[in-house]
Parts: sequence; structure tokens; C-alpha cells
Amino acid sequence: MKIKPWHQTNWDARAAGNFIGGGSGTGLLIFAALSNLAALAGPAADYRWQAGLALVLVAAGLASVFAEIGRPFRALNVFLHPHTSWMTREAMVAPFLFGSGAVAICLGGGLFSVVAALLAAGYLYCQARMIAAAKGIPAWREPRIIPLFIITGLVEGAGLSALIVAAQSGTAPRWLAAVLLVALILRRLAWKIYHETLERRGAPKKALEVLARLRGRFERYGQSLPEMLLVAALFFRSEQVWLLPLAGAAALLGGWLLKFTIVARAAYNQGFALPVVPVRGQGQGMPGVKPGWSK
Amino acid sequence: MTRYIMTADLRRCIGCQTCTASCRQTNATPPGVQWRSVLDIESGEFPDVRRSFVPVGCQHCGDPPCMHVCPTTATYQRADGLVEIDYEKCIGCGYCAVACPYQARHITRRIDFAYSATPMANESARFDERRMSVATKCTFCMDRVDAAKENGLTPGVDPEVTPACVNSCIAGVLAFGDKEDPNSKVSKLLEETQHFRMHEELGTDPGFYYIWDKK
Amino acid sequence: MSAAARKVPQYCYQCVAGPDLLTIKVEGGVATEVEPNFAAAEIHPGAGKCCVKAYGLIQKTYSPNRLTGPMKRTNPNKGRGEDPGFVPISWDEAFDIIGAKMKEIRAKGVVNEHGYPRAAASFGGGGIPTYYMGTFPAFLAAWGPVDFSYGSGQGVSCTHSEHLYGELWHRAFTVCPDTPNCSYVLSFGANIEASGGVVAAWRHGIARERGMKRIQFEPHLSVTGAASAEWVPIKPKTDAAFLFGLIHVLLHEMPRESLDLHFLKQHTGSPYLVGPHGFYLRDPETKKPLLWDLTRGAAVPFDTPETDPALEGEFAVNALEVGADGEEWRHQGLACETSFTKLVTRMQSYTPEWAEQTCDVKSGTVRRIAAEYVEHAQVGATMEVDGELLPFRPVSIHFGRTVNNGWGAYECCWARTLMACLIGGLEVPGGTLGTTVRLNRPATTRQASVQINPDGFMHYPMNPTDKEHWKPSPKIRNAHVTMVPLSANSPWSTALGPTHFSWMFQKESPENWPRVTPPDIWFCYRTNPSISFWDTKELVKRIAEFPFIVAFAYTHDETNHMADILLPERTDIESTQLIRVGGTKFIEQFWDHEGFALRQPAVEPQGDTRDFTDIATELALRAGLLEQYNEAINRGSACVRLAADNYDFSLDPKVRHDAQTIWDRTCRAASAELTDGRESDGLDWYKEHGMRTRPTSRLSWYLFPELRKKGIRFEMPFQERLYRVGVELGHRLHEHGIQWWDVQLEEYGGLPKVMDFPGIWEQETIKQGGAGALAEYPFWLITSRSMQYAWGSNVGVQLMDEVAGNMRGHKSVVINAQRAEELGIEDGDLVEVHSYVGTTQGPAVLSQGIRADTLLMLGQFDHWATPYAKDMKAPSMNGLIPMSMALTDSTGSGADLVRVGVRRLGAAP
Repeated sequence: MKIKPWHQTNWDARAAGNFIGGGSGTGLLIFAALSNLAALAGPAADYRWQAGLALVLVAAGLASVFAEIGRPFRALNVFLHPHTSWMTREAMVAPFLFGSGAVAICLGGGLFSVVAALLAAGYLYCQARMIAAAKGIPAWREPRIIPLFIITGLVEGAGLSALIVAAQSGTAPRWLAAVLLVALILRRLAWKIYHETLERRGAPKKALEVLARLRGRFERYGQSLPEMLLVAALFFRSEQVWLLPLAGAAALLGGWLLKFTIVARAAYNQGFALPVVPVRGQGQGMPGVKPGWSK
Repeated sequence: MTRYIMTADLRRCIGCQTCTASCRQTNATPPGVQWRSVLDIESGEFPDVRRSFVPVGCQHCGDPPCMHVCPTTATYQRADGLVEIDYEKCIGCGYCAVACPYQARHITRRIDFAYSATPMANESARFDERRMSVATKCTFCMDRVDAAKENGLTPGVDPEVTPACVNSCIAGVLAFGDKEDPNSKVSKLLEETQHFRMHEELGTDPGFYYIWDKK
Repeated sequence: MSAAARKVPQYCYQCVAGPDLLTIKVEGGVATEVEPNFAAAEIHPGAGKCCVKAYGLIQKTYSPNRLTGPMKRTNPNKGRGEDPGFVPISWDEAFDIIGAKMKEIRAKGVVNEHGYPRAAASFGGGGIPTYYMGTFPAFLAAWGPVDFSYGSGQGVSCTHSEHLYGELWHRAFTVCPDTPNCSYVLSFGANIEASGGVVAAWRHGIARERGMKRIQFEPHLSVTGAASAEWVPIKPKTDAAFLFGLIHVLLHEMPRESLDLHFLKQHTGSPYLVGPHGFYLRDPETKKPLLWDLTRGAAVPFDTPETDPALEGEFAVNALEVGADGEEWRHQGLACETSFTKLVTRMQSYTPEWAEQTCDVKSGTVRRIAAEYVEHAQVGATMEVDGELLPFRPVSIHFGRTVNNGWGAYECCWARTLMACLIGGLEVPGGTLGTTVRLNRPATTRQASVQINPDGFMHYPMNPTDKEHWKPSPKIRNAHVTMVPLSANSPWSTALGPTHFSWMFQKESPENWPRVTPPDIWFCYRTNPSISFWDTKELVKRIAEFPFIVAFAYTHDETNHMADILLPERTDIESTQLIRVGGTKFIEQFWDHEGFALRQPAVEPQGDTRDFTDIATELALRAGLLEQYNEAINRGSACVRLAADNYDFSLDPKVRHDAQTIWDRTCRAASAELTDGRESDGLDWYKEHGMRTRPTSRLSWYLFPELRKKGIRFEMPFQERLYRVGVELGHRLHEHGIQWWDVQLEEYGGLPKVMDFPGIWEQETIKQGGAGALAEYPFWLITSRSMQYAWGSNVGVQLMDEVAGNMRGHKSVVINAQRAEELGIEDGDLVEVHSYVGTTQGPAVLSQGIRADTLLMLGQFDHWATPYAKDMKAPSMNGLIPMSMALTDSTGSGADLVRVGVRRLGAAP
């Protein structure tokens, strides 16, 4: 029987897939709506592409997690606990999200794109709260994971949006670059706060090791690289169109790496601990022990 | 009000795993699925070293994170404090398992019997398909606790209505009873001893008390 | 519980600490659950609980790896590398083959040309198999001479010296604290929490809660150490040094008044006067040992009424000194000392500082513990037990394997018994108790075996060493009667000689020793020496030389791999047997009740297996011994005498009886015995109730009242009797040209000395491994019992494997964490451990709870034939330990200890 925290085995890459698909999809749906609403990014076809892909991503995420549940034929039971379960809440938002998204796609944007974006924001929030409610996993239950998961969803959405816009129209909207840059900076901040808080409060050593290894790669390729590209994009204006989609791709992949790592690699459980070592017959108890923890 | 709890006197525990074996058998859990087990925790540095044996399992929390996250209401809390799972409702999403800070929940997707894929007579007799691919955990031997109401017996006193692990314990480590009843064995033990609850700082209000010294 | 379910009372005796009383829940004819027998809570000292091993019985019953019909070997070649080619046969064919062999043997004579029994039988340790083999003991009794000396661990891996010296000094085949009353225990390697069964766990749990302090001395932190107030990581095999250090403090650093002087003077041999040749000074007329009476100011025989014996001092006496082989010296005006004074002098050099050098424990710790020991002893306190006022001394010393067997064990046992005497705590409430008698007769109770000898001590049935009666030709292969006077000659004695000699001498007899030949027929049951003895590779070759082996077999294993016939008996919950329970026996097993418990078929037997009793009856019939067999049952071989003055349930000796009839008669006799003939409830009654007991007096726990009543002294501290038999044995052996026992003979002396006991192992390592051997084998390898496995014959039970896995150290090599780091070994790495005899491998477990110079392997594994177990890949020390004359002490025992090296093979797979 293990004592030190060990990696949970209940949620694997499939669960990470839901956070990746759901986060990126909802983020994209929000940026699709923003683009559409402001008519900044051109024709309705752009919205359709973006929103369509967004819904596919969210659906893929749900399909991924559906593949993980033990009793798929009872999947509808997932709706039974909206009182406290963020999983139920996420599931309840989903049909409305798909419905409004589908209508918005049919209409090529408009009011329903706003409704879909708001529902997407709700869905993204549910996901962030869902992981934070998993009290058994120290790297998840840290409340600062909520802003991190929300902001990375937005970053991924903006990144994807930039990619699609570039593919569709060969343009690189300056506003999108600016928004993505701001979002990236916020993500850097959210990550830093999350990571440092976890280190400060104490966590399973192995989880911290995983996050420490992630940090270098994530901050280099998922943060610094796109940030520099975006600064360059803003500086060069529209002359270097490739800069924004490239930054978007890096920001997107960085977000996926972040979530995959946190969900499927840093998910060491609580393990066991003793606040005090028992007295055996006579003598004194000893100070407690929390094996495998940083503090 | 009733709140059933369990106490484990760590001064007494020797890690014999009798409770583990008894639970495995009474609840017919598959090989490797231990609703009750006893940890062997070493602490200190040579030569000032201690080994503590610590029974663990579902803590039947007063504020159970597993229940809050469960999307199906399969995990529920009874008025008497027991946290239970409705196997017919559970979808096996595993959310409760990652929400539990006590690593107490198990989901068995594929069963390996003790010696092969073919069950022995005792395994066939007790195999329960309802428990496949759903979350399972210690029930505090709910069926026994419920039987107490029917036949006027007292859980924690009469073995017929006491959890198997408590009945089996050969070192007098485990006790079970109603914390709200000042005359119950567990209430008296808590009154007389110093104790803690594991990971109490997480706010789960666990129903499992670890005794470590006299008062 | 569903309507179709029922609970069937049973006992479990899978270890020496049984029986546990339990029930089997049967649903629809299938056994599903084991539970404590709650109805036994009032009479069982462990609250009617049953230990973890009992829970394995259900898997054991239904295991697909069971043998469910008789088999015979088709490959005449035997050995580890040979496929036995077992094929199923009918019971009739099996009995025909065995019957023909038995008749052939009996026609030749039951003893072979070398004087050894042609039949041999081996059973697992501690007498456990007798609780499962039904009436087979009656078959063996009917057969005549049977050699039981092929051990599977008994003799070498048991608490051997304790068995022998314990019986000599206080009828203590096993020794135990009076746990329910004790408050301070010094435990040297006694893994009571793992090997003391349910009763120990229950009692020690209560004792800890009430504040009993137990200090555990051992090189690693066992589960018992874990549950102790303090762990002292002592160097292996130096326990005697620590104990001698304690005695030094008590005798040389504490006021004499802190000892129980009355006890020493009146209830021990301390005042006996000792002559210059090392024997007691005796009254020339009566030849009784003398003591100095302070009242009369003269030496008087020890049993002179109204004396005030001098405990210490020097006195001038006229006396007779009687040495070995009747040699006598007459002394006039001899200046002599008491035994106690000799002791004080002997202990002078064993200071705590000396002990520190030897056993790596601080001198301050020795002094502190000595002081705590005396303080807790409460010298002068009394306790009333059933109307009798007894000294109350709630301190005790307890030993485990490797401390109380092999070189150094005699000194430990002596020191432990002496420590108890010094504070008057031997065989009194709270103190150090013996709990069973096996070598002295009658074995009904310890008290019944107590008789006074001419010197005022307890009579002891030493094997003769005088010229006229010494037996130069061994009657069994381990030669216990010839070589080990202390092993006596009871049915248990054969297992208490040097059991490795049987295996060793079969390969090569030592100088001037009769040739040792294998038995013509060997019966084995619940025993697996191929795994559990030493130098297992070599031992398997010896078994392969046995021409005809009948194995009662639950499953294939490494020993019945060499069998000719496999007979599958109905196991634990499929067959019938009645056993005695209660009274006092084994460690911690002293009850307030005594009586009988039944094992009965809870479920239909699996396959074509048979009740052991029916097998035994058939064997008796086929051997032409039915009448003798039935008469043995009538005499009580199966459990209880079937007839007495006030009842008679005897079997007709000429008729074949089935198991049900035999056990029904046994049950009736048991009922009658317990009720002085008033009741005669039979098998059906026991099937329903499971057990029948009556209360006993707690006085039976203590031997002191019996000795006090009979005016007998404990034979402490001086060992005149041992010295004498040692000298005589030396004479006899030398007369027969045997010089290879000379080192062992040195152990016989009046007062023991502490030698460099670890050095004995080191010297042998150098001798066998060369000059650099200590560097090549820098670690001491030790073992420890596992509660989940010890004695259980349950290594193939998946549930045990699973739950044992929750405890650190199973199936692995435990190594000190810092030392491992120096060697580049990480937790979980695969390592190889090697001695000059063999190698074994397993994953490393890094621990702070072990000395840097020590490795630990729990239990006994390394299986290669037993289904399930052979896939466990667990290491074992047994293949690494030599069978060695040099490592054999004078009692014929060795110890589970060997110098080894370790190397990393690779990362965790």
C-alpha cells in the first residue's frame, strides 16, 4: 500500500482531452463572436468556420471524457446533481451551448453568437471550477487554478482564432494580436501565481517536480515565444502576416501542454499523513509525518 | 441525531491486516480492491525511527467532497452520517475518486479473480455485476447498520450489526458507534484520549478518528 | 444473513499460536466468509478473534491449484530439474502401492542395518500439523520406530535453546511474559506481534493502552519494535552481552537490597557452596549440596529446616565434591564460596562499557534499562491468585529466534532466567513464565511434570552420559540421544536434536560416526524443507535420494516434487477433528478455561479428496496394523483417552471405523473427561456448539506455587548439572574417537561466559570464503516472521500475498537507506544478495529502521514449484545459510544468520 502521493489513475489523457477541447473550443467560440460582433474579421463564413471548429472541439472533449466513464449507457444521470456538482453544471450548459452555437452558425453570427459566447464562458468557468473541486488532487484543488484554466481557454481561443483568420483570409488582425498578447500576459501571471502558491503552500514533491519541468518548456515555448512574436507582429503591423498565427499556434499548444500536464501528469493525490506519531505503551508521541510532500 | 464514526487506536495497531482481509471477504471486493487497509508508515531517521500502522479507508466525511462533485447523486450522505453509493446511478466518471483526499474510492473496470479470469466457487457466489465500472468504497457495512434498526441491536456493540473490520480486529484497535450518543464506546474513547483526524485541514469533517495517546 | 446462509464453528491452527475459534459462513453450500466465533469471546483469551491467516482458508479451499485426487510419480529420477510426471490414480491404486511398500518394509524389519528406523516422517513446525492430521499419530504409534529427525526448520529455525534450557529451569518449552499483569518487558528479537497470534495481539494491545513499557532490541525495526515504546538497534548476536551488562549493573552497581534476596536464598541454588573443581560441595553422608547457615554458623544440607542461608561470602567447610563419572574429592577445612558469590565474581568484568563495545548500545542505555527493570519489579509486592499469596513482579524478558537459538543462545537464556531470579520474578504473577512442557512428562500440565531431584532442583530427564548408559549408536539420524543430553527423549525430542545432522550426515558422515542412510519410506505433511530449511539447494538433493516418499499434499510444492505418491487430504474446513484447547501452552496461550474444540466439514470436499482420519485408517489396515492403530486411538493418540474409570467409549480394535465414528467416540470421551463422566455428548453436539470448556485456576499459569509447595529450588545461577553432563559427554565421545564436538562441549560450564559470538560466524565466513570474505560479505542477513505467513503453509493463497503487500519488506530485501545510497541502490531496485553458499534476489526496500550492517528478508520464499508462490519472485535467506558443524551449538542448533554481500542488478522492472 502506497503512503506517499501517487499519480491518480481515474482521469487519464481522455479527461485532459475534455479540458483541452472544452477550453480551446469555448475560448474560440468567444473570439469568434467577438470578431463577428465587431465585424472586424470579415464575412460570416469566418464565424461559421470558427464557431464550427469550436463546437467540434467542445464535442471532441466531451466524447473524450465519455470514453472514460464506466457506465456510458447511464450517461444521462450526469444531469442529476446541479446543486453542487460542476460536472453536472458543465453538462447542463453543453446542450444550450451547442444549440445556440448551431443557430449562430446557421445565421452566420448575430445575437446567437453572443448567446453562444456567453454560454461558452459559462462552460469554461464550469470546467475551471470542476477541476478545482477535485479536492483529492493538491495540484488541482489550488483555487488559483480557476483563473489559470479560464485564461488559458481564452488564450487558446484567441490563438485558434488567429490561425483560422489567417487561413481564411490571410490577414492578421491587429486587435487580435493585441488581445492575445494581453491574454498571454494574464496567463503568465495566472500560471506564476498558481505555481508559486502551490510551492508556497506545499504539494506532493512529485507534482512539483512535474510542474517544475513543465515550467521551462511552457514559459519558453508557450509564453515567451508567442509573446515575442506578438510584439513583433504589433511592431511590424501587417507586413509579417505569419507572425500572429504562429504566435497563436504557440499559445494554443502551450495551453494544451499546460492542461495535459496538470491533468494527466501532475495529478498526484493527497497520500497519507500523520499529524502526530502515536505513543506505544509509554513515552512521547513524535512529530507527525507527511511522506512525499514538499512541506 | 446519529453520526456513526469509527475510531482507530494507533497505540494498539500492529498492521496485521486482519481487518483488510476480513473486509475483502465480507464485502467480496475483487483482488486488489481494499475498502479497508492498514498503512505501514516509517518516520524519523536511524536510530530514532518509528513505524506506525494506520487503518485507512472511506472516512465517511461530514462534508464529503466526493458527494459534492458527484454529477449523478449516486454518492449520498445518510442522516446517520454514512456516505454511500447507489451503484445503479453511478456512471463511473471517477470524479468522486479524484475528489477524495483519502484515496478511498475504487473503480473496477475489468475483474481479475484471485487465481485467473475464472472465478472460484466463493467468488462466483458473491460476484456482483452492479459493482463493475462504478465507484465503490467502504460502506461502514451499511447492511449491518441497517439491520440494527430492524432487530433492535446496537452497531458497535452487537457484532451482527457492527462493521466486519471492527469485529475482526485482533488488537482492539477499531471501534464503531454513534458519536452523538455520549454513552457509546466511541464517545467514551474520544472523551478519554487524544486523537486526530487525517487531513482535517481540508475541511472534510472526517468520521474516522485516530487515537494516539491518553489524555 | 440470507435464509440459506449458516455459520459453522471451526478452529484455525495454522500457526503455533492457535487455536483461533471462528465460524465459516456458508451460503448455498459455498463457504464465503470467515468470522470470529463471537460465542467464544468469554472463554478465549483473545476475545474469540481469529488472525489474518484464517481468512485465507476459503481461497485455500477453492483454489484451482489444489490437488483433488491421488497421483503417482512416473519419472523415477528425482530432483529439482526433473519433471515428476505425476499422473492421477485411484485411491485404491495409491493404497495398493503404499501398502505393498509398507509390507515389504515391515517384512525386512522396521529398523535398518544401521540401526535407523526405515520409516521417517516430517511435519511442519511447532506441532501444527497434528491439529490437521486426524488420527495419523495413531498410525505412527502403531507402526513402531519412526524417525522424525528430518526437520523442516525445527531444531534450527526454532527457539531451540529456550526449549531445552527453558524446560530444565522452569518447565518452559516456551517462555513468555505474564502479559496480562506485566508492566515492563525487555524483548530481544521476540516478534510477538507477528508470531504470538491473536492472543498476543489482543493482550499486548490492552497492555500498551494501560502503559506497559516494552523495549525492543533487534537489528531492524520489526512490527513488534514498531509497537514498542523504544527500539534499541542492537548488533546481531550480541544480545547476551547486553544482558550480561544488565546483570553486572544489578550485581555491582545497585544496592544488594534492590534484589529479591529472600527469593534468591530460599528459592534458588544461589546459597549452594561450590568446590574447587566446579561442583557443589556436599554433605559426605547424604551427598546433599551444602549451604552456609548463618543461624548455626555451619554448613548444612540444603534442605535442613529453619536455616538462614548465606547468599554470599567465603566459608571454611569439610565436604565432599562429586565430579563427572562419579569422581570424588574430600575436602577438609576448605575455603569456599557460594554460587552467588561465584556469580558476582564472574559478572565483574561485564561492565556496561564492555557491553557497549560489543553490542553497539550506549553504556548509559544499559544502566538506565537496568534501573528501570529493578524499579518496575516492585520487589516485595504480592498478588493473591485464587486464594494463594504470590510475589508480584511485573517485569519480564522475552526472546525471539536467532537470540535464543544457535551460539550465544544458551548465555541469553541463562541470563534471562537469572535476571528473573534476581528480582524474584520467575514463574510468579507479572513475571517471566513458561507456558508449555514438551520434553518432561507427563505433558498434561507443567505442574504435573515437577518432581524434586536429590539436589533440591527439578528432576530433568537428561539423556544418559554415564559410561554404562550412554548410547553410542544413534537410534535416529540426528542422534539427539547421543549428542544432546538436554534434548531428553520424549516424542518431541527427535525434533530437538541437531535436525540438520540428518541431512548433512546423509551426504557425508563425520569421523567415527555410523553411516547415515535415507529412510525406506518418508511421510511428509504440511512441511516444505526444500524451502524452509537451510542450504536448500543441497537439501533438495538429499530428499531426491529418498527412495519412496508419500506426501499428503494440498498442492504441488518443492518437497513433494520428489514424492512418489501424492495423497490429497480434505483440508481445514472439509474434515473432522477434535483438539484440546485452553490451559497453558505456547507463548501467550494461557487461558482461564480448558476443554475441546472441533473442526468439521463446513462444505462438501473438493474433488476426490479424503478425510485424513480415513486415510490413516486405510494405511493402518494396509500395513496390517489396524488393531494396534485402534488401540492407539483408544489410548488417546488422536486427542483424548476413550476410556477411563467412569466412562468407556473405546473402539473395537479389530474393526475398521470410519472418521465419523472415531470422532464421535472422541467427542463423547471429551465430554465425559470435562464433566467427570457425567456428560457424553458426541459429535453432533460439538458440531452445533463448536467447543466445550470448563474454567481453570489461574494458578496453573505459575510454576512457583508448585515449587514452593514441594520445596524445590530453581537451578540458578550455577549449572553444576550441565557441567557434569558436559564433562561426561566429552569423555564418552573421546572414548569413541569423536573430536569434532569439542568446541560444543566447551559450552557446558558452571557459569556461562560471553564469547565473541558474531565472531563465530565471521570466522566461518573467512574459512569458507577466504581471507577477504568479510569485505565481500559485509552485511549480516537476518529474517523476521510475518504474521500473514508464519507457519501458515499458505504461501499459495492470493489473499495473504495481497494483504501482506501492505506491510513494508515482504518479498524484498530491506536495507538501511544511507547504506543503500552509498551503494547506489534506490528504493525498488533489483538487488542480488549472495553468501558463500548461494544467491537470491529481490527488490530493495530502503528503510531507516535497520542497522547499516544488516539486511532483512521477511519470511521464507524462493519457491520454484508451488503454484502462485513460484511467480512471486520473493527472496529468501534459506538458500544462503550453510548447514555447518562449526555454526552448531551444544544443543545442536544454529541460527538464521549469515554474512552476505549485496549488489544492484538494475532498476525496478
